[in-house]
Amino acid sequence: MKVLANFFHQIGGMFLFARQVKRTWLCTLGSNTPLVIEQVGSVGLRSISTVCFAGFFVGAILVIQLQLMLAQYDASAMLGGLNTSACIREVGPLIISFLLAGKVGAYTTAELGTMRVTEQIDAIRCLGTNPLQYLVVPRFVAIVVSSLLLLVFGLLIGLFGSMVVASWLYNINPLQYLQSVPRFCGGWTVFCGVAKSAVYGTIVASVSTYKGYNASGGAKGVGVAVTECAVYTNLLIVFANTFMSILLDGMHEIFTMVVG
Amino acid sequence: MSIIFDNVYKAFGPKKILDGVSFTVDTGEIMFILGKSGMGKSVTLKNVVGLLKPDRGNVFVDKMTINELDEDGLEGARKICGMVFQHPALLDSLNVYQNVAFGLRGIPEARIRERVLECLKLVHLDESIFKRKPPEISYGMQKRVSLARTLAPGPRYLLFDEPTTGLDPITTNAVNELIFELSRKLKVTSVVVSHDMGCALRIADRILVLDQGKVLALGSVEEIKKSPAQLIRDFLMEAI
Repeated sequence: MKVLANFFHQIGGMFLFARQVKRTWLCTLGSNTPLVIEQVGSVGLRSISTVCFAGFFVGAILVIQLQLMLAQYDASAMLGGLNTSACIREVGPLIISFLLAGKVGAYTTAELGTMRVTEQIDAIRCLGTNPLQYLVVPRFVAIVVSSLLLLVFGLLIGLFGSMVVASWLYNINPLQYLQSVPRFCGGWTVFCGVAKSAVYGTIVASVSTYKGYNASGGAKGVGVAVTECAVYTNLLIVFANTFMSILLDGMHEIFTMVVG
Repeated sequence: MSIIFDNVYKAFGPKKILDGVSFTVDTGEIMFILGKSGMGKSVTLKNVVGLLKPDRGNVFVDKMTINELDEDGLEGARKICGMVFQHPALLDSLNVYQNVAFGLRGIPEARIRERVLECLKLVHLDESIFKRKPPEISYGMQKRVSLARTLAPGPRYLLFDEPTTGLDPITTNAVNELIFELSRKLKVTSVVVSHDMGCALRIADRILVLDQGKVLALGSVEEIKKSPAQLIRDFLMEAI
């Protein structure tokens, strides 16, 4: 019971912190642009190789699994479309956000946590600068923006990886593979992928900055904050995934009914 | 014009840190706050700059009631109260010049450069280290740069939180000399939190000893030397 209470206490804290960050961002809109660009570059460069590497193999694995089933129904012509749709709607945002949580989330928590325990954040406040504006907002925005940019890169590499494997293992022509993509990947699929990536990116940004900013207790405290960041981020992403899948499917049904 | 603590209480959970602390720091003096670890020395300093708020009681700086100020109000208070932290607390992503210039805004770049150099000279450093990042200079130098950064906005009060922690004896002496020299040269009021009675005896005008969250003793160096309190006797023995 105590664990559950603590869990919800933490979630509440993260939500309030994210709201405070959003307010600070809106109040100082524009003044942080150079810092945000610097952070987007830093986060993006730090993660792109991992995302591309993972994207390639995720695409490849999905092709192998889907082909096993599609071949039974003589439906290999649909492989490209189904694989790309699964990547955009589900696997891409999920895998990329897990990677982002492990790499950038942990880094951000450790960085901010170290700044907290070595009194750098207090020093910034004493020098008349709002640490939320100077340290947190650029990192927060950068993580959300980067999650979207990395999704695009990851998906392109995933598509490439799946085409390579489909061609190599199953002799499916890349052009034939691509032909089925538009059939399964419409605007709604892309919207789902982008919405999920943005939400997962916001979760990674909220948890990592909150945990780092509120770290205490020296080096051990920073270690605890990083561990908690990993646990909370992954749990919240899984919860959000379930919730968003239900919500987006419901929305799609309503949309289809209205449009006809 | 002074710092006044009026019956200040502060607790973290069940642990009382400050238990009705009252004292005044007079203009231009160097006051040392001594006490064992966990007796509320750093908490006292953090209350002066509004990094912590008392549970009860008031903290006044130049007639401003610090505990009643919001973040905007505290910005004004922090302009006149510079704090040097236990760690150098320099930003690793910025070089020495950018760190010292961090608190200087709204003035021309040429004036900022002039001021940064002026402050580095006050702590016996020069422009040769402008472009170096904090990890590229020694810990003692980082402490000096941190002091220069605090001096840059021109505070009237200097608050030192265990400024010699982690330094070797020679650098410790140099930093203590620097505190004395700056306080006199710049005519600022200094409050120094420390464990070092030897240093307090050398450079303090008055010494405040905290024990169990209360003021155990407050007086001039001579008065403190005559105190019968066991804790003070222990500190004096250690200093000898």
